[in-house]
Amino acid sequence: MAPIAVGDVLPDGTLACFDAEDKLQQVSVHSLAAGKKVIIFGVPGAFTPTCSLKHVPGYIEKAGELKSKGVDEIICISVNDPFVMKAWAQTYPENKDVKFLADGSAKYTHALGLELDLSEKGLGTRSRRFALLVEDLKVKAANVEAAGEFNVSSADDILKAL
Amino acid sequence: MATNILRRAASSVMKETFLTGTLRRSYASVAVGTDIVSAAPGVSLQKARSWDEGVSSKFSTTSVKDIFKGKKVVIFGLPGAYTGVCSQQHVPSYTKNIDKFKAKGIDSVICVAVNDPFVMNAWAEKLKAKDAIEFYGDFDGSFHKSLELGKDLSAALLGPRSERWSAYVVDGKVKAFNVEGAPSDFKVSGAEVILEQI
Repeated sequence: MAPIAVGDVLPDGTLACFDAEDKLQQVSVHSLAAGKKVIIFGVPGAFTPTCSLKHVPGYIEKAGELKSKGVDEIICISVNDPFVMKAWAQTYPENKDVKFLADGSAKYTHALGLELDLSEKGLGTRSRRFALLVEDLKVKAANVEAAGEFNVSSADDILKAL
Repeated sequence: MATNILRRAASSVMKETFLTGTLRRSYASVAVGTDIVSAAPGVSLQKARSWDEGVSSKFSTTSVKDIFKGKKVVIFGLPGAYTGVCSQQHVPSYTKNIDKFKAKGIDSVICVAVNDPFVMNAWAEKLKAKDAIEFYGDFDGSFHKSLELGKDLSAALLGPRSERWSAYVVDGKVKAFNVEGAPSDFKVSGAEVILEQI
């Protein structure tokens, strides 16, 4: 699949998470994004450093500012299972706005054309680091990092697109 | 709640088995007497580690041979880090009994799961189990596949994982082996059972 780009329609897909009652839920991406302004940012792996120490915290800190600019949802996705995503989300007790959703089988990441083989690091197929700004399912900004980088997909970068 | 999903999946397999009359249970190629190194040639596991440790070790892996050759090892495998029975019952049963394993001359008590080594590391630290147990990731499932202990747990949104099992291995030879009827069970793969078998 070619990587998702500006002007594309965001594909639908199913992601998993634990809800407020701690029940496992499958969520359709379109149900979260249709008719709304959403940011979806992808990370290679829960519990890995750039993801944990820079990428996620940036969105948690700027959530207020992003919401004041009309963003309805801020979604973090990773190719991890929902148990791992829940445990990882719990390491950010101050987080109120960022939703951590699991793309365990990498199906959705594949639908976005953003998968990356990190087998030599012991990770298998994962997602590239990226950030998308999507308005009513139309991609307005698609910032995809080169492997190992963190230059275009942070919260500050996506604020510039709003 | 994952265990409920697994129980329902297991009972639907049982119903199917009853109706078709054929046993669909796959048999592990590992049993007492198996030479684990020959059963899994060229297979490696990744020691649980932080990313920095990964970088400084150049993401090195540990071969099955280096884990088992010349050692007395108790190893147990489970469906997934951060899941219910694994976190609340399986790992604690081994951390509680670590002194008994040491007293019996066991060189390593190892926990393995189909997770990446960074998740295994964070989980081991959360369970405060890193001092007692060595955690390894079988990130692509190749170790479990070689021993025919792989299991599709997509019904529980986990994807391809493993059975819940334990083994006592001396110099690569399996001396005792236990596998649960269903991954959500915890009857035969705990520390108390294998201690009796050493």
